Amino acid sequence: MKKALLLLGCPESPSQTPLAIYAANKLDKMGFDVTLASTPSAMKLLEVSDPEGYYIKNKIDLESCLDTIKEGDYQLLIGFAHKDAAVSYFVTFYHILNTKSLALVFHPDAEKLEAFEETIKDSTDAEIVSARAYHNPTPIRVRLDRALKPLEAM
Amino acid sequence: MFCLDTYLRESEDYTIHLNRAGFKDCANFIEKNAKRVVHVPAGAKIVGARIIGIPPVPIGVDDENKTIMLPYTKPCYGTAVVEIPVPEEEIEILETKSI
Repeated sequence: MKKALLLLGCPESPSQTPLAIYAANKLDKMGFDVTLASTPSAMKLLEVSDPEGYYIKNKIDLESCLDTIKEGDYQLLIGFAHKDAAVSYFVTFYHILNTKSLALVFHPDAEKLEAFEETIKDSTDAEIVSARAYHNPTPIRVRLDRALKPLEAM
Repeated sequence: MFCLDTYLRESEDYTIHLNRAGFKDCANFIEKNAKRVVHVPAGAKIVGARIIGIPPVPIGVDDENKTIMLPYTKPCYGTAVVEIPVPEEEIEILETKSI
């Protein structure tokens, strides 16, 4: 079975948790075995949002995941890149996994958004979907749907 | 084996040069202030931890005082530049990761 890793960052952006659940469900329906890697605080938000584990089937602590992952473990990496640290984590996971990757870049500030995009563009071959967004997950969700469409054949 | 996270939890013998900064500012600080710089890939295991960052990631080395200066990133706190004393063999291991 194809395996996908959803990489979450700091949960202070309100869009991250709903988008993570949305993406996990979407990837599951596309036939991926999905694992979410996140900080303990981001995990708590996911656990409260999905108490029966209906959408989130596999989860792992971000630091443990970082310590153990290696190339070949996942066929798809999707990462939230909404803070400077999240961009660094995404680029690092990209280089460890060396696999098809998609960065979800969002921030309310246009300058920061552009800087995050540039950093990812300059240091990876990952596909990037980006939007000026913070509370509203819809702009990223729409772009995520578009980006996932070609992967249905994966 | 040396473990960075455990060391930072249990020791007070380290220096934080920058805190809650962006990765690029931290990388520039290391490039400008370290006595010698070794560049490693993102995700390289140095002092028992995977190094988070945008490659090539600079790691500062002070051979005389046997310290290394590295970027240390946490999801909610950004990146810090931390300088820690390390056993000599850790500097040798670092050299093998150089790109």
